[in-house]
Amino acid sequence: MPQYSIRGGVHPLDDLHSGKKATNGSPIQAFIPETVQIPMSLFLGKPSVPCVKAGDHVDLGQVIGEADGFMSLPTHASVSGEVLSVEPQMLMAAAPVVTVTIKNDFKDTWVRRKPLGQSVDGVDPAAIIPAIQAAGICGAGGATFPTHVKLTIPEGKTCDSIIVNGAECETHVTADHRTMVEQPARVVEGLRLAMRALGVQHGIIGIEDNKKDAIAAMQEAIRGQEGLHVMPLFTKYPQGGEKQLIYAITGYEVPSKGLPIDIGVVVLNVGTTVAIAEAVLEGTPFISRVTTVTGCVQTPKNLRVRIGASIAEAIAACGGYGEQPGKVIMGGCMTGFCVPHDGMPIMKGNNAIVALTQKESKAYEETNCIRCGRCVQVCPVGLNPYKLKYICDRGDLKAAEENDVMECVVCGCCSYICPARRQLTSSFKITKDAIMLEARRAK
Amino acid sequence: MSKKQSLSGVFFNGILVENPTFRLVLGTCPTIAVTTSALNGIGMGLAATFVLVGSNVVISLLRNFIPDKVRIPAFVVVICTFVTLIQMLMQAYVPSLYASLGLFIPLIVVNCIILARAEAYASKNGVAASAVDGLGMGIGFTLAITVIGAIRELFGSGTLFGFNLLGAGYQPMLILILAPGGFIIYGLTLGVMNIIMNRAEANKSAKEGVEA
Amino acid sequence: MELHVSNAPQIYAKDSTRTLMYDVILALLLPSFAGIWFFGLRAALVLVIAIAAAVLSEYGYQKILHKPVTINDLSAVVTGLLLGLNLPVSAPWWLPVIGSVFAIVLIKQLFGGLGDNFLNPALSARAVLLASWPTLMTNFTRPGPSLDAVSSATVLSGYPSIPLQMFIGNIPGTIGEVSKAAILLGFLYLLLRGVISWRIPVVFVGAYALLALMLGNDVLTGVLSGGLLFGAVFMAPDYTTSPMTAKGQYIFAAACGLIVALIRNFGAYPEGVTYAILLLNIVTPLIDRSVKNKVYGKGKQ
Repeated sequence: MPQYSIRGGVHPLDDLHSGKKATNGSPIQAFIPETVQIPMSLFLGKPSVPCVKAGDHVDLGQVIGEADGFMSLPTHASVSGEVLSVEPQMLMAAAPVVTVTIKNDFKDTWVRRKPLGQSVDGVDPAAIIPAIQAAGICGAGGATFPTHVKLTIPEGKTCDSIIVNGAECETHVTADHRTMVEQPARVVEGLRLAMRALGVQHGIIGIEDNKKDAIAAMQEAIRGQEGLHVMPLFTKYPQGGEKQLIYAITGYEVPSKGLPIDIGVVVLNVGTTVAIAEAVLEGTPFISRVTTVTGCVQTPKNLRVRIGASIAEAIAACGGYGEQPGKVIMGGCMTGFCVPHDGMPIMKGNNAIVALTQKESKAYEETNCIRCGRCVQVCPVGLNPYKLKYICDRGDLKAAEENDVMECVVCGCCSYICPARRQLTSSFKITKDAIMLEARRAK
Repeated sequence: MSKKQSLSGVFFNGILVENPTFRLVLGTCPTIAVTTSALNGIGMGLAATFVLVGSNVVISLLRNFIPDKVRIPAFVVVICTFVTLIQMLMQAYVPSLYASLGLFIPLIVVNCIILARAEAYASKNGVAASAVDGLGMGIGFTLAITVIGAIRELFGSGTLFGFNLLGAGYQPMLILILAPGGFIIYGLTLGVMNIIMNRAEANKSAKEGVEA
Repeated sequence: MELHVSNAPQIYAKDSTRTLMYDVILALLLPSFAGIWFFGLRAALVLVIAIAAAVLSEYGYQKILHKPVTINDLSAVVTGLLLGLNLPVSAPWWLPVIGSVFAIVLIKQLFGGLGDNFLNPALSARAVLLASWPTLMTNFTRPGPSLDAVSSATVLSGYPSIPLQMFIGNIPGTIGEVSKAAILLGFLYLLLRGVISWRIPVVFVGAYALLALMLGNDVLTGVLSGGLLFGAVFMAPDYTTSPMTAKGQYIFAAACGLIVALIRNFGAYPEGVTYAILLLNIVTPLIDRSVKNKVYGKGKQ
């Protein structure tokens, strides 16, 4: 039974720098940077092994890092030009990552793979998943899980529908929205290719009802195609979370510690479907993505950014900062993380760059919990955040696990709503990381 | 008792360091029930002191004869004897106090302080030390419940030992002589005592630190 | 360029503890003005004394104990105002003072301050005052700004019941509880501002009405008399002392309503709202322990 909405959740304030309205009408523009820094771990899994060295000339789309096994992806050059360096660098991860820096010669000399076919129906189903891996495709929604792994159904499980996540519930982000409006055919092709690869009959595109033009465009694009549905959903954060979206669309819950495939569902992001379509039908690897650049910048835009372009360059392409920024966030305001400086490269899971002013970056002091219960009401998982925070803050990992801290989806609703400004979500994130570290050590 | 204490040390131990009401939190039932006036506090305290000293002395004398397995019933029999004595004495000489304390006089038998001192002190120490311990504990108990009783009587009825102190215009705060008031005042005095003792200990350790 | 780094989320809802308290104060102003209208300026004096004593005792306690002073969060103002509204207009000046000091120091601060009290401070102060000075606390006067006000029984203890007069508040009672119209307007304001949910007030009154009906009482008089509406709207939904989950709130409110009906019918007191809510305040931690939301992905599919 579709629920069309989720349990709990919030409607995050959307008036900061006009929120989504700042960019939901601005067409996607291409943006080509002067240099790119491409880390070998753009995705979740084993990092690629670099196969170029400083001084080499690379073409656009050339493999610069090879996949290291099944749980890995190759990495491609996102510009053509000269390799400046191949060395470990401190990026967002805790440890240095081998990063290839390429200077763009702006010639865009392509190397593409041979397309598998001109249309979806002409493609050999068995060749789709290897092509997806070869194109370096991972989830474009943020988690960057390799897509070919997601589409490889484990022994004994069956998949009966594929859901395209067009909820885009995060604040400010309109990348998927614009993609659905401008390239609905590509989204549908990507979805049908994934369905063809798995032999699945049902494809559902879930879109929140604050994106009427995207719903209309997608409905137009699926017209006359069997097995495809567009499902409008009530707008509520965090509906774009995988587990929440599955509940909203199917009414089923992914079992604790399980994966969506346990209930026969695979969820793909809108950006991922476009990347699949381009990889299979054009032979183009995943070298660029749509990123919303907004906040305190002169002209907020949706940019089709080459992977590895620096945030500073992307912001310069939007006219630069409107005023001295206090925070620059990778992703939306609810789940995004702050970058320490704006020289960081934009990566495969980066759907937005939001710059906040000094004033908006003000830190709040935690005050006493007044037990108002708002965190309990908004938690989409059904946890007791107020109580869990006391447990997490005293470092009792065992009790935290018993109180279901591992089920927390780190959506940020509890911290957002808390009138005492208690840092609930970050407590849970720290505790979850500590528990996972402990489990890894125990192995 | 690992360390041998002087008799005066044993005496003051019961009044301050191990005050049964404020430090050991023993005998809370009579503490809350009978402290509706200062006089009740003194009466109850002295009665308990008499029983404490008497039972401590007798149990200390018999400590080598009472078999370990039946020591509790034996202690209770000794305590009962003294409680019966004090009950009859009070009934004869202070009938009004006896009437206002009522059931709580016979209930001294099950007052934790008395059994606890018998078990923890008198059954392991000599007669003189046990007598002094009983006296110290008893006076500590008496002082504590008299203070609580005085506070409750003063604000709950406007009098102290029956004398009207706060004037005729004072409207007594009735709740203080009801059970909730007993809990509240007991809790507050306990807290104040804790503050005082903690400060004293902090001072003492600071001094020792300087000397060392 | 120096950039701030902090954990997600990066934005917060507009409501803070202070704005919530401010909203409650605005809602309470309605019954306050109604009380002043019916009982005269002396009612305002009682309210001001109660608020001043509450704020000063919070300030004094935190100064003496070298704790951060939190009177800016306005919670002491709310406590003082609630207590003042629960007093009869004839209360001598020292009654609100003792009540406020008791509420702030003994009930709220000694247990850890805002959010850590296990009883509603204003309500427990009222209970203490009621037990200590029963005659002063029930010395209700008929509305009227005359200085030599006449003592009167309340509706629950014999004053004639006229529903319309009871609704607008022209009856004897405490300052805040008499005008049901003002209380309902305040409730509406709190609902619209999202400060409280409808659950506790509606279920509380509903459960009372249901049991009163079964016991053959005059339901309309019962609902409109005494502190039932005031307690259901401003006392029972107090964040700190009511359950967190929706299910828990239903249980809490229904039990409150039932106990009020039982006390009014079978108890020694004509009024039972105070004791019903205080009893359920004590049960709240147990309700929160035993009533939990279902966790996503756990349990049957």
